[in-house]
Amino acid sequence: MNKKKTPKETTKQKRDPIGYKGELRKRLETEGIGVWSEVTVKKGDAVYEGVILPRSDHTSEGYLVLKVDTGYNIGVKITPDTTIEEYGYKEGKYKLPDISVKFKDDLPNVTLLGTGGTVASRLDYRTGAVLPAFTPEELFSAVPELIDICNLTPKKIYSLLSENFQPEYWAKTAEAVMKEFESGAEGVIIGHGTDTMSFTGSALSFMFQNQAAPIVIVGSQRSSDRPSSDGPLNIINASTIAGYVDLAETVICMHGGTSDSYNLIHRGTRVRKMHSSRRDAFRTISDIPLGIIDANQKVTFLKDDVKRRGDMADMWVDTKIDPKVAMLYFYPGMDQDMLHSVIDNDYHGVVFIGTGLGHINTDMYPALERAQEEEIPICIVVEPLWGFTNLRVYETGRDMLARGIFEGANMLPCAAYAKMIWTLGHTQDVKEVEKIMTTNIAGEITDRELNRAYMIMQGVEPGLDEMLKQVDKNPREHRWGI
Amino acid sequence: MLELEKIDFKKMGFRAGIEVHHQIKTKRKLFCNCSPILCDGEPDYLFERYFRPVLGEMGDFDAGMLIEFEKGYRVIYHAYEASVCNYEQDEQPPFWPDYEGIYMGYELAHWLNFSALVDEVVVSRKQYLDGSITTGFQRTMIVARDGWVPVNGKKIKITNLTVEEDAARKIKTENFGRTVYYNLDRLGIPLVEVISDHEDCDNPDDFKKLAEYIGLTLRLSGIAQRGLGSVRQDINFSIKGGDRVEIKGVQDLDTFVDLARREVVRQDMLIKIAGMLKERGLTKEDLEHTYIDLTENFDPKIIPKNYILMGIRIPKLGGIYGLEIQPGKDFGQDIIEKTELISGVPRSYLFHSDEISQKAFRRIQEKKMNLKSEDYQKNFFFQNLTIDLNKKIRKILNLNKDDAFFLALGPQKWVIHALKKIVERTKMALDGVPQETRRFLPDNNTEFLRVIHGQDRLYPDTDTPPIDMDMEKIQKLKEKVGDRPWEIVSEFDEKYGFSYDQTVKLIRHNRINDIRKLIEEHNFDPNRCYVLLEETILALTREGLMTKSLSMKKLIEVLKGAHSGDFDFNQIQAILRLIISNPKKNLKQILSDLKIKKITDKDIEELYDESLNELDKHPRKNDFTKEELAEKVTGNIMRRINGGFSGKRIFEIVLSKLEDK
Repeated sequence: MNKKKTPKETTKQKRDPIGYKGELRKRLETEGIGVWSEVTVKKGDAVYEGVILPRSDHTSEGYLVLKVDTGYNIGVKITPDTTIEEYGYKEGKYKLPDISVKFKDDLPNVTLLGTGGTVASRLDYRTGAVLPAFTPEELFSAVPELIDICNLTPKKIYSLLSENFQPEYWAKTAEAVMKEFESGAEGVIIGHGTDTMSFTGSALSFMFQNQAAPIVIVGSQRSSDRPSSDGPLNIINASTIAGYVDLAETVICMHGGTSDSYNLIHRGTRVRKMHSSRRDAFRTISDIPLGIIDANQKVTFLKDDVKRRGDMADMWVDTKIDPKVAMLYFYPGMDQDMLHSVIDNDYHGVVFIGTGLGHINTDMYPALERAQEEEIPICIVVEPLWGFTNLRVYETGRDMLARGIFEGANMLPCAAYAKMIWTLGHTQDVKEVEKIMTTNIAGEITDRELNRAYMIMQGVEPGLDEMLKQVDKNPREHRWGI
Repeated sequence: MLELEKIDFKKMGFRAGIEVHHQIKTKRKLFCNCSPILCDGEPDYLFERYFRPVLGEMGDFDAGMLIEFEKGYRVIYHAYEASVCNYEQDEQPPFWPDYEGIYMGYELAHWLNFSALVDEVVVSRKQYLDGSITTGFQRTMIVARDGWVPVNGKKIKITNLTVEEDAARKIKTENFGRTVYYNLDRLGIPLVEVISDHEDCDNPDDFKKLAEYIGLTLRLSGIAQRGLGSVRQDINFSIKGGDRVEIKGVQDLDTFVDLARREVVRQDMLIKIAGMLKERGLTKEDLEHTYIDLTENFDPKIIPKNYILMGIRIPKLGGIYGLEIQPGKDFGQDIIEKTELISGVPRSYLFHSDEISQKAFRRIQEKKMNLKSEDYQKNFFFQNLTIDLNKKIRKILNLNKDDAFFLALGPQKWVIHALKKIVERTKMALDGVPQETRRFLPDNNTEFLRVIHGQDRLYPDTDTPPIDMDMEKIQKLKEKVGDRPWEIVSEFDEKYGFSYDQTVKLIRHNRINDIRKLIEEHNFDPNRCYVLLEETILALTREGLMTKSLSMKKLIEVLKGAHSGDFDFNQIQAILRLIISNPKKNLKQILSDLKIKKITDKDIEELYDESLNELDKHPRKNDFTKEELAEKVTGNIMRRINGGFSGKRIFEIVLSKLEDK
């Protein structure tokens, strides 16, 4: 702290003030000061010392961000009479320590395709956001347990935020997965942003024909830049499923509860994100999950209709799609111009989320008639998420059926949407589309719903208090760090 | 024997710093809308987690964090819905931080002379993998730098002031410390942390005063939450050639000096040990990780199922592990404590070669413990390692005369991990003092808690954008700053002649305004006021009386009576006692109940004569010296007036009268 720090006068290098804008940027450039410069900032009596960090987007102008000796960051407002002097330079490089990985003959080969979800990640200074770290070295140093589970090859296919995951990417992803199976992977994991995970899960379920090995979609609800992230356990579980488990479906594997105790294995077409942030946001709707995987990676199947591994040679992928599909969410007071607009914009198909058993208002009928005339298939699914459509109970329903709408049974909206896109890729014939849409392909429609399939607890059920106080009876075996 | 009393702190190059964490009084928690309240009893729900380190912003794993990860804790939380929401459960991003709490930090910065106030606050994450924080990091923000506090004529630097969220409360541990339980209620309650320069204090007395001043400033500022557990202090010590060692969670200022002495001798011994090892020619390469299975040398009946017993030769360490480094504790024990914490192998399953001696420190401790505690786990090796077996093991391990060994018992993986840790720690002995965070024990010795956390465990919080502060408002907070404790101490010394301790007591008991009022407005004698406020009232409180019911008005009335001679000062306690139990009676009635009358000089003259007459009957009357006689007379008078006048004054009057005679 008392070290004498003399500013360097002679070798004034060009430094980049990354992320700084306006007056302050000009000033930094003029003075040859930039990001990673170690500086002394004097403002009145106050003296601040530290390393200049890149400035994030969408923050106020005129502040200099310093990392001070304690490791903290502070922002200093730079006024005209503030002086900034560079006394050193210290570039920060974010990299996980390398681990050299040797593949073992007795372990299954598994590929992890990165699409933008994070298992390990790093911080982006400019946006302040978290970006995935994705080399094998990075992955294994962040989650060393993986080394003993399988020969995991991570491949980054794109870096997409979940919400930017367009239907075209479903097809590309499916093809990339197929390529991995063809090159000998015994299972494929897809790292995915959680927001639209169930859309991709549905799409891939339809695309893979005679699927012979597991495709596990995984992500993290608490970002992997935090010590409590759910990402590591999710990827460990996903690796086990991909490498060992006798399962040949596209599944989503995420935390089953708030604890790091077990994950649920959800069928790709039956799962939905039900909370904006919790670890256990993913729930199978209108059914129970396929299976459970505990803290020591023991898998128990809960359903008897699980598709088992088959002959890899029989598997193929059918990625023909037509993404020109709209999804409309019915609300009281909805004007028919919403549907007209969809037709005006040349959409080829519509998924309509209707109230209750699948209803929309009578004001919509003229638009329905127009869609019928123009041969645009409209599939109705239910706003309550649980349960089947039924347009025969009430007269309005029958009126809707008469206008060409068809029932999506108990398909989830995201599954119906993905299915319509995939179906339209194969046929544009309305009758044909209806036939495919109303026939179960990959578990998106079930023929019955059981009592256990609808379990939304209200937090007040008798016996629940005891349940909430239970700890894991089979907790993770003690491990000794890295 | 280590001589704690003879330490010359200056010569040792002693340095000390402190971090004071204090809860502040806000309406909500720092990053969510839960009430900052503590809960007890049956929790509403439980959940459990595991943690792993993440990289610091500059691209390194923090060494301390890797050790934390190595401990491999399973963490189980007790949660109460009254004080915990999805935020504390780490199931949702933070809400916007509580401005009230942040501004309180700036207010305190003004009290502590901070010059560099932060214009834009950047929320940082400070990693903790012990489970005390569900996210695995504490959200913390620096609000000011470069403050100071004057201590004994010197400005001690206060380097940083931060506002941060408090951690969860540890309830218990199980499974050899591998399973940790926390109560989540405290998590997220806002704290201020005041950090002094760890090189600025060079003796324990200044250090104690510094800590006291910081604490009193918090009290005077009015931002501090009161109550048990609302303040925690981490202190750090180093000596020349040693390194910074942090001692966590020190509550009592009075233990500072003893803790300092015990840490100074420890560091001094570790430096000496490094010297001895170098003299013996030990290098780090000499210490190999070769673990030998010794299980079959012991009676299979005493080895628990699935356990093995392993040993390792430690060359050139003979006699070193047995050296005393803190009173009653040897170097080997220091290593054993650390090994137990990291590996989970209990200390009762660990043994070093110098402990074969019956005078080994842990044997002495165990003998003491045996008398006290039923469930104390006796050391396996003290029970079962005979002299012959010891010889045999030395032979198997191929020990030379100046070599040492370590033994460990437990499941194989655990034992290997423990022995590995022992070798690593022994290697570090060549470098002297390792930077560590330690916890203190009931005897003020300390033991390893974790590797000191570095700056690599800090990285920015991506969930909260930087916050522009309203600097005008912050400058205005300066107006809220009142007299600082050091200012009051010197003022009271100059004006009233109060000692440091006296003034500190007054501040601590929130009596500053009261005593000023009594002295300045009513011209009462400062010492009389002090005695009343700090001694008399305390004595009455100890009698179980509701002294809180005593109004300032009553106190002033009583002090006025004593000053004007209506009764003596030493009757105040009796008078107040009656006032408390008879709140409706006025002072006059109380005095008459106590049969206290104003005693004039004339009264004393009469009493003097009466007492002297009475003494005339005393058989040994003529043997008394004048002083003895005066004492007797005074005692007699005091009895007659029911203690209603200053005994000292009466003695003086009596003595002068006797001399006049």
